[in-house]
Amino acid sequence: MPIKLGELTIKKAHDHLMKGDFTAVELTRAYLDEIKKKDGEIHAYLEVFGDALDAAKRADQMIEEGRAGLLTGIPIAIKDNILIKGKIASAASKMLEDHHATYDATVIAKLAQQGAVFLGRTNMDEFAMGGSTENSAYGVTKNPLDPTRVAGGSSGGSAAAVAANMALAALGSDTGGSIRQPASFCGVVGLKPTYGRVSRYGVMAMGSSLDQIGPFAKTVGDAKILLDVIKGKDAKDGTTIGDETYNDGKGRSENGRGGGKKAVIGVPRHFLSGDGIDKAVMEAFDESIVSFEKKGYEIKEIKLPNISYSLLVYYIIMPAEVSANMARFDGMRFGLRKEGENGIRDYFESRRAGFGSEVIRRILLGTYVLSSGYYDAYYNRANAVRKMITDDFLGAFKSVDVIMTPTAPSPAFRIGEKTADPMAMYLEDIFTVTANLTGLPAISVPCGSTMRDGVELPIGLQITARHGDEESLFSVGEEVRCSFGEEV
Amino acid sequence: MITVTELEKLAELARIKLTDDDKRSLTKEFDSILGYIDQLKKVEVSLDAEGRVGAVKNVVRADGVIVTSPEDRERLLDEAPQRIGEFVAVKKIL
Repeated sequence: MPIKLGELTIKKAHDHLMKGDFTAVELTRAYLDEIKKKDGEIHAYLEVFGDALDAAKRADQMIEEGRAGLLTGIPIAIKDNILIKGKIASAASKMLEDHHATYDATVIAKLAQQGAVFLGRTNMDEFAMGGSTENSAYGVTKNPLDPTRVAGGSSGGSAAAVAANMALAALGSDTGGSIRQPASFCGVVGLKPTYGRVSRYGVMAMGSSLDQIGPFAKTVGDAKILLDVIKGKDAKDGTTIGDETYNDGKGRSENGRGGGKKAVIGVPRHFLSGDGIDKAVMEAFDESIVSFEKKGYEIKEIKLPNISYSLLVYYIIMPAEVSANMARFDGMRFGLRKEGENGIRDYFESRRAGFGSEVIRRILLGTYVLSSGYYDAYYNRANAVRKMITDDFLGAFKSVDVIMTPTAPSPAFRIGEKTADPMAMYLEDIFTVTANLTGLPAISVPCGSTMRDGVELPIGLQITARHGDEESLFSVGEEVRCSFGEEV
Repeated sequence: MITVTELEKLAELARIKLTDDDKRSLTKEFDSILGYIDQLKKVEVSLDAEGRVGAVKNVVRADGVIVTSPEDRERLLDEAPQRIGEFVAVKKIL
């Protein structure tokens, strides 16, 4: 049968594969054709893998032998900071232009074991630092809905690939919103799981107390399918958690909301009144809240007294961790080396030549906030406020089950609009950083749209839940009804 | 506000060479970013509070020897900018 990429979900594709309507090879070929047709303009991929069809053949064999799982033969795109053994993993940086991964990330091993097909590695802001993919050393990814606009970032390539039907799903990483914001800009679903839910072994570290890997998908159900495969404890990542870590082991979250009961939705109105929020974003948000109310959900206004400090706390803790994590790029053991007059000067030359300006800016900022004399004023203080913000959320979760805000303060902005002013770009993260600071899981689901210059641009709704309670994100996220895009 | 001398000191600590152009744009950008994060100084906090996230705590394991296969060793060595036989080559230090 003809393959209609626009109508496929993981679940539907799986059913077709099982029924023999088409093979995994045919499905992968359909995606490769679509990439060939569209990616010259969009630039979601840094590389399309030559062996994708070989993986699809193996998947067909698994199906034939009755060993197929839900992801067998499903074509997936992978962000360029996640290692696939033998493939280049550059993090969109000149520093790692020719760097081949020497091992598989745990998430890659898990997906490969299921027979998923990796289509290629996707574009991103260099080392995941940015909110627009404009910091890639290999050119910007364009928004498939309007190529004059950004796809968001840092996982912009993964979001654009799924939105343009150049992959059925994708993996990204999220340190301050890098999955959720591009998902919002491209009109797809993006999930940042609970801190520790997914092993980070084999993903390039940016902010180690903040980073999580998560899925991009066309539906909430597909995001859940992916999470179920990639999650779990991993001896190679000491921060990973099990299903039992945050609940009583019976599938209930901490407050014991059993099955069947509707989640209580919290809305921090006091945080949504700033003039930096686009009017259309607030309208779409309010409409979503009203539609939940109509469905019988209880809506509660909540106070998160310290939430307004989130972004500044983030822009202290994140650069501090960046400066430490980036120290490994020394031009000695792997990556780019540029010769200086001696061994020490090799560092200076290599790091200047290998890193882009945003990476350098964050390393220096991190060095500043960690340096003696400033450490207490910035880093220590930021950690203390981080704890206060987390306590605010945990307090709110005593009376609500999920918290809703917009995902991003605006729809996708124009390419070049914010590149001159780092501070303007940083403000993009205002709603998303809280989930990383607190470790809470959060999802972005398309909830509406707005017309800009004759193009319909999507708007995302962010839902945050208790630690370990991705289930509530899925059950509530499923209920979001959106006028945007085709129904799948 | 950050001076060029302070910026040079940071770059020295971070082992990054900066051009004059870099310094010009970075001092400007630093002023705007630091102006923003300096608001944190106004927040009343008790500094003994630890910023611990969720239920994550230290995980320890016993030290153990992991034998790397010759193929993996080759792969790792091949990623070095320069190698001599079984070694990663760097400039002479002493």
